Amino acid sequence: MATTSERTGNDAALIRPQDGTRGFWTRLTGNPAYQRASDLLLSSDRRRFWLLAVPALIWMFGTHLGPILTMIRISFLDSYPPTAGRVPDVTLENYLLFFQAPNYITPFVRTFVYSTCYTLLTLSLMYPIAYFLAKKLRPSRQMLFLLLLLVPFWVGEIVRTYAIMILLGNRGFLNIVLMGLGLTSRPIPFMYTGFSLGMGLVYLTSLYMLLPLYASLEKIPRNYLEAAADLGAGSWTRFRRVTLPLSKDGIASGCVLVFLISTGYYATPVLLGGPSTTVFAETIAGFFHVAGDKWPEGAAFSTIMLLASLVTVGLFLRLLGRRRGSLLG
Amino acid sequence: MMRPSQIALTTFYWAFIVYLFLPLALMVVMGFKDSNFIGFPINAWTTRWYVQVFQDTAVLQAFGYTLLISIASTALSLVIGTWCAVFLGPARFWGRALVFAVMCLPAVIPGVISAISMRIFIRAIGLDPGTGAIILGLTIHNVPFVALMVLSRLGAIPRSQVEAARDLGADSLVAFLRVTLPFLFPSLLGASIFCMLLSFDDFVRAFFLGGYQPTLPVLIFAELRSGMSPAINAISTVVLVVTAALGLWAERGTRRLKGTRS
Repeated sequence: MATTSERTGNDAALIRPQDGTRGFWTRLTGNPAYQRASDLLLSSDRRRFWLLAVPALIWMFGTHLGPILTMIRISFLDSYPPTAGRVPDVTLENYLLFFQAPNYITPFVRTFVYSTCYTLLTLSLMYPIAYFLAKKLRPSRQMLFLLLLLVPFWVGEIVRTYAIMILLGNRGFLNIVLMGLGLTSRPIPFMYTGFSLGMGLVYLTSLYMLLPLYASLEKIPRNYLEAAADLGAGSWTRFRRVTLPLSKDGIASGCVLVFLISTGYYATPVLLGGPSTTVFAETIAGFFHVAGDKWPEGAAFSTIMLLASLVTVGLFLRLLGRRRGSLLG
Repeated sequence: MMRPSQIALTTFYWAFIVYLFLPLALMVVMGFKDSNFIGFPINAWTTRWYVQVFQDTAVLQAFGYTLLISIASTALSLVIGTWCAVFLGPARFWGRALVFAVMCLPAVIPGVISAISMRIFIRAIGLDPGTGAIILGLTIHNVPFVALMVLSRLGAIPRSQVEAARDLGADSLVAFLRVTLPFLFPSLLGASIFCMLLSFDDFVRAFFLGGYQPTLPVLIFAELRSGMSPAINAISTVVLVVTAALGLWAERGTRRLKGTRS
């Protein structure tokens, strides 16, 4: 291939000493202090390993795990932030509170029911699109068509939520069109309902479904389908027996991502939802906004939500018969 | 002659594209409406909302502040994410799968829980809400994405190049800086744009970790809750144009860089 020579040429450029920098590198490595540090830190595989490992592990366990562990610890305390001269007691009150009041359980159940429904809706919308991109288009056009889908997702959560408000409001585009067509005489209240929230969440999360689906569908070799056709399988059988099973990984990652992301939205339910669609994220946020000491309750509720999401995801992956822990791998 | 299934899929694709673009297009159009009321129909046109936005110091400050925070967290995420990837890529040790899972954790925790646990965490380590807290929160969220992007490119590096550099007398640091790092450049560029977009658009972390100075998404959110002024269309349109331009430019840039090797 013609690109082979280009590649070697390009690779060689990477290690060819460049004018002006040669002096710098020679001076750096010739410096006695650098040599001493290099002998100390880089002289064996084991030392290099620890040099890389220690900061990386401190960062990961400190900041990736630290906040979650701190949150769980606070959730068992009876007061936080600490007041001077008083040691907080360990208690289960914050967790019991959740089970005592229906106005906490309702948003909790609603969050999980909604997120599950929206995830399945997103899956059913995005599967045909991913299939179209991966299997029905020439490779040269796939990128262009994919890019077109990507562009709106570079815009943030708030701006896109607002755009949905303009679409669905009482004086919004949809209502004006419906009234103009004479389908309804007065505006339909789309906003502040499960419908508007669903529109918003699908709008915000569909990309996270599309990309894993596309990646798994694109990997399916064309000759598998040809072989199935040679053996007499019709198009529906080919889809059901070949394409669908082979895209299971994409379905699993897409659903898990969309589920976790949609349970985690706060601004979108606040802006698009109403009193009848209060989700658990709003309940939790309430504990951190009111004056006074409500952090332990909020921490306990967040812990419950985190556990419930992870259990749901675990059950879902078990259901699909997939190894756990390979979500992003 | 297209088959019916092909026609159905093509139609569905374009219908979905309309669903994605229509709300944003309506928002842009609404930004030129000459009325204090947001809604259709539009009878008169104006550019005064844009003039107003570019004269509004609160908006300009929020814009600059968000940009500053995004750049800072992107720079930190790149360094830390690359470091984690370079550590995890070749390393084989007991518990690697656990470390990998911990590295990916911030990417999959629901946003509101991540923000709230961060809020508690910064209180526990004695950091006040504000610029530092937002940058830390965004960096934690970005690191897994950078690390995963770098890891995937790291898997494709020709070992012979690194070995050649070592044979020519470069120690492992110099070999890393002069061979590995330039090879990683396309993925680093892609990751940095991705982090910029994630950070610039982020609402939930900026909302829970922020101090008195709002970021642009927090400012827009506050405006939306306190009764809407049509100026919001103009602000949102500016954000839309800036982010879409950044994204498109990055897409072109990374594709061209990757194109040189395949």
